[in-house]
Amino acid sequence: MTTQKSGEPMTDSTIVTDSVKRFKWIGTRPIRPDGVPKVTGRAQYGADLKLPGMLYGKVLRSPHAHARILSVDTSAAEKLPGVKAVMTAADLPQQKFDYIGPERVAQNFWHITRNIMAREKALYEGHAIAAVAATSMSIAEEACALIKVEYEVLPHVIDVDEAMKPGAPLLFEDMITRGVEPAPTTPSNVSKRLEFGIGDVAKGFSEADVVIEHEFKTAAVHQAYIEPHACVAKYEADGQCEIWSSSQGHFAMRALTAQIIGAKISDLRVTPAEIGGGFGGKTVTYLEPVAATLSKKSGLPVRVMMTREDCFRGSGPTSGASMWVKIGVKKDGTITAMDGIFKFQAGAFPGSPVMNGCLCAFAPYDVPNQHAVGYDVVSNRPKAAAYRAPGSPISAFAVESVVDMCAKAIGMDPLELRAKNACRIGTPTIAGPKHAHAGYFETVKALMDHPAYQVKLGPNQGRGVASGYWFNGAGESSATMQVNADGTVLVATGSPDIGGSRASMAMMAAETLGVDYNVVRAIVSDTGNIGYTHVTGGSRVTFATGMAVVNVTKTVIKDLCKRAAILWDVDPEGVIWEDGFAKPAGANVGDFKPLSLREIAAKAAATGGPITASSGVNAGGQAPGFATQFCDVEVDPETGKVTILRFVAAQDVGRAIHPSYVEGQIHGGVVQGIGWALNEEYIYNAKGQLDNPGFLDYRCPVASDLPMIDAVLVEVPNPTHPYGVKGVGEVCICPPMAAIANAIENAIGLRMSELPMSPPKVLEALSAKG
Amino acid sequence: MTVRVAFTSGFARRYTGGTRDFDIEARNLRGVVREMDRLFPGLAHALEEETTVAIDGELYEIDFTQPVKDGGEVFFIPKIEGG
Repeated sequence: MTTQKSGEPMTDSTIVTDSVKRFKWIGTRPIRPDGVPKVTGRAQYGADLKLPGMLYGKVLRSPHAHARILSVDTSAAEKLPGVKAVMTAADLPQQKFDYIGPERVAQNFWHITRNIMAREKALYEGHAIAAVAATSMSIAEEACALIKVEYEVLPHVIDVDEAMKPGAPLLFEDMITRGVEPAPTTPSNVSKRLEFGIGDVAKGFSEADVVIEHEFKTAAVHQAYIEPHACVAKYEADGQCEIWSSSQGHFAMRALTAQIIGAKISDLRVTPAEIGGGFGGKTVTYLEPVAATLSKKSGLPVRVMMTREDCFRGSGPTSGASMWVKIGVKKDGTITAMDGIFKFQAGAFPGSPVMNGCLCAFAPYDVPNQHAVGYDVVSNRPKAAAYRAPGSPISAFAVESVVDMCAKAIGMDPLELRAKNACRIGTPTIAGPKHAHAGYFETVKALMDHPAYQVKLGPNQGRGVASGYWFNGAGESSATMQVNADGTVLVATGSPDIGGSRASMAMMAAETLGVDYNVVRAIVSDTGNIGYTHVTGGSRVTFATGMAVVNVTKTVIKDLCKRAAILWDVDPEGVIWEDGFAKPAGANVGDFKPLSLREIAAKAAATGGPITASSGVNAGGQAPGFATQFCDVEVDPETGKVTILRFVAAQDVGRAIHPSYVEGQIHGGVVQGIGWALNEEYIYNAKGQLDNPGFLDYRCPVASDLPMIDAVLVEVPNPTHPYGVKGVGEVCICPPMAAIANAIENAIGLRMSELPMSPPKVLEALSAKG
Repeated sequence: MTVRVAFTSGFARRYTGGTRDFDIEARNLRGVVREMDRLFPGLAHALEEETTVAIDGELYEIDFTQPVKDGGEVFFIPKIEGG
């Protein structure tokens, strides 16, 4: 690991940052509070909870990629001894057809309820058809086998380009493309067309010395979280329902489940289980409404969980895509225009992250003429879900590949080309607003200065560079703080801890209070014990929930000063808080011995009762994430296998609260990007059935596939956050695919334009080259 | 205080007859939304439901209390969700 401050020379293999110099806890690496329960196997994940009388739920899934459901007969299953409830879509209320909310997250509950349980048609292999709750899993499985479903099998379509062709099998016979004027008169699988632009791309291309255009395809890839989806629901006779769920947002699960089952939000209480990875895939619901309905029908608690196969067949990967990108550049390296068409698979229901793909595609660059068109396209695959910087890595693969081709065409170093065109504060973005934060140039500069960038490579080896951009999120978060009688502190938030937020919340509270990190305990509260908090996603938690924690800590400090004033018989204005102590200030200086947190806590009852406070924020002013990476690869010309020799990942991290977690995020993003680049894909057979729904055949990288990953933390603090935080969890997955493709091109002279760049595809390309 | 209000082309096509820029008087985001709703009745709902706002480039969710500066820019863009 190396760490660099903005504008200063990089120091090698050191963790000294300005954070360490300025702060007591921020920038240090204390022991994570969730570590011991996890390594000792005691942490309670979604599948671990077992309640008295609990039933086992099982979902029956469609074997067909596309089929009309003519009938579902559950009578034989209901009669099987041990079966306590059977449900179909008929047990869920009808939902209005309406896109509610914004583009990317527009919720259409007519679609959502049909994704949770099919109604008129099964739209992908693995689509849920019915569900059973029984006294054992084997009985539930047997009961599922007894459910008779009569299908009329229909032609299917998997590939996005095929799905867009006239005459392609239609998933929805009445789908008219939104965003086209005048509206088309015939239905298609294109749910929506989007267009963004600034400047005049035609003029920009006319000013270029070199114009390069190329087509690309990416595969749909799964988030591959280690823990499959799981939840337990317990519906009581009074209509109150408790749910324990592994998700990225228990408030989101509560709201979605309430709408799907037709309950009031106040009737549901959702407790977050520990979560074994999400990466965006656990921001949506699949099982909670099913478990709640089965529990309501049976009167008993019900656990429903997915197998790994269920995860692949029935939960959302990110989109695969088909893209075209064109870039014009002058001989001096000035990029004059960037244009792109991005066609994203949405899966079986509308809602791919194509808008994000369009908005992020050219965002790192100061180019006055930009244009992007996006298409959201349905096909017979599981509905796409968010995956780390959703949309951005896909368009980055295409754009960063063409940027590299431009660099080669004009004979310029690829980092120099990026530095020359790097966006700055005030650079317009394709959506219109100007960039308000720096950070991109600094990541490029960090790699230009990195000693490994000068290392000479051997035969069949090549070096590739790429960059990435992600907005980062903010929004609503809540936090509460309690000071205990012994001076210890409890911080509760509503953010499920996926990336180490309990540690970072405790660190920010300790830093603000001026007390030891070890006296602060951070927990995640259920929906009944904390205010609304948006999902743990969008790299928002350390920023937004951290802001709520800092705010609530400041409120508590004010209260502590007030209580010290009572004990000293002075006005509250005569007390300041410093280094964990209430100290006399102004005219009172020197009159009293400072009071520690513990001393004030011991007098809580006499000074007004419990010391506690709450804070809710709708945080804004988040800074985006920028990343630039390079990797060295070696291509085996005999087998087509690509070996990653070195990977260096620079990222603007704002200020690293806990650098180990930040490095972990970068390592994880790079590893997932390597998998996306080299091996991961859904392999469908002629019937539209998935042939590789498991980790043996869906090839995620393992340790032996990976090099040491050098995470370069570039600190350009965000001035809108009390500790300079920027989100760090997503942008790291944007550059790897293009970096690897560019490295392969430099190694063997082959431009790979389709993911994954697996050995058979590289070998085929080598053979075609001759 | 005069602020420049801007929309993406797609949003403008749907809601403001294609006009993307407006100069209006407002002190905070509530004032901006109220004034735009006066010009285009019903627009407030669309702004609240569908957009994130960039105030002088800085991104915010729709929070009425957010102040705006004289001569500043308030750019409504589609809401963004992460992973």
